[in-house]
Amino acid sequence: MLAPWATTFSYAPAFLNALWLTTVMSVLAFLFAFILGLLGALARRSRFRVLRFIGATYVEGIRNTPVLLQLFMIYFALPEAGIRFDAFQAGVVALAVNAGAYLTEIIRAGLQAVPRGQLEAARSIGLAPADVFRSVVFPQALRSVYPPVINQFIQVILGSSLVSQIALPELTNTAQTINSQTLLTMHIFTVVLVLYLLLSNVTALVADLVGRRAFKPPLYPSGPRPRSALLSRVGRLVRGR
Amino acid sequence: MGWQGIFDSSGILFTGFVNTLTLSIATIVLGTALGLVVGTLRAARVPALRVPLRIYLEVFRGSPLLVQMLFIYFGAAYLGLRGVETFIAALVALTLYEGALISEIFRAGIEAVPRGQREAARSIGLSRLQIERYVILPQTVTIVLPPLVGQYIGLVKDTALATAIGYFELVREGQAIIDRIGMPIEVFIVIGAIYFVICYPMSLVARRLEKRALHA
Repeated sequence: MLAPWATTFSYAPAFLNALWLTTVMSVLAFLFAFILGLLGALARRSRFRVLRFIGATYVEGIRNTPVLLQLFMIYFALPEAGIRFDAFQAGVVALAVNAGAYLTEIIRAGLQAVPRGQLEAARSIGLAPADVFRSVVFPQALRSVYPPVINQFIQVILGSSLVSQIALPELTNTAQTINSQTLLTMHIFTVVLVLYLLLSNVTALVADLVGRRAFKPPLYPSGPRPRSALLSRVGRLVRGR
Repeated sequence: MGWQGIFDSSGILFTGFVNTLTLSIATIVLGTALGLVVGTLRAARVPALRVPLRIYLEVFRGSPLLVQMLFIYFGAAYLGLRGVETFIAALVALTLYEGALISEIFRAGIEAVPRGQREAARSIGLSRLQIERYVILPQTVTIVLPPLVGQYIGLVKDTALATAIGYFELVREGQAIIDRIGMPIEVFIVIGAIYFVICYPMSLVARRLEKRALHA
């Protein structure tokens, strides 16, 4: 009864290494994705038709094809054109390019939601265009895009499991390897499932706490976000309230 | 040479296209049914089902679809359910995953119909069934349809993951072609174009429905 669990947990170091790899890959991919999303949103709102066209092609092309195909394209096909990535780099690039398209639309909507009057007021007090964006438009947009951006980050974490298919030993790939060695399918996949659930829920919880602190007036004024009701209860305990 | 090789493989591509379509449509039917049931039960706040449905939702929304699919495919073999086909395993995993996401769309849609509508319908003497059929449902459909079509786009793309358990949908057939004739860039571009042709019209429909819902 307990022997399978003992065997499963004897692989703890492998699981932890894999968890670390998944985390690093997701964070890196998300950072690049956010930059891509910001550039994409600016391109789509640009005065120049060429930039708008490039932005729109990027968004529609990525959003209407599967991530797995994009990953295979980058890892298996691009070397043919002389562009070589190892599995980790290919994973980061594919996840970043994919999430970047979604973030483009999220950030674009956020920028659009900043009232025009804010822009005009900022300009009328003599701010340079760059300063108008940096200190007036962007902070307000960031506030309204924060929840969907965090959601996108969680999608990147979950999506990083696809990189297992190009033989990078992150969580899912490690599970498959250990499964083929031990055949303890139920135990191993339960552990991995729980690790992913922890990763996504802890991310949601931390983002929630940060969101409450970082914005004035605080984000989510009326109670916890529906996504992490249980975990925010834990959060309240931690903060002693 | 060049594109001729891909043209010669059009039979394989067509098989992949049909398999992707079959899996997508089967998942749309079953996932929507599951999502409707779960969403309605959650909106109705059935006390005994609150916790189990919540757990279902959190587990399937908070973990990767790929892990769920591998779990179900290898798990079936582990439990001695021999001969569970890749198609069935992929369909079960996709249905459970998309069902969880779709249930939230339905729940939000049902809860978005103002309470006054139900009260008004009752006060003019409609029966319970009539209220649901003629008052609540039509309003729910308008709200639910745009995000539902959006979810279907994600669903079609998600069927690509069935590659990982060996189901011969578009991506896997693409790899099979590459194994024979090479030219990975060209082959993947063609595969991507096929997905685009399926998904882009759907996103146009979703956009139009969204506009209509806003004006309603």
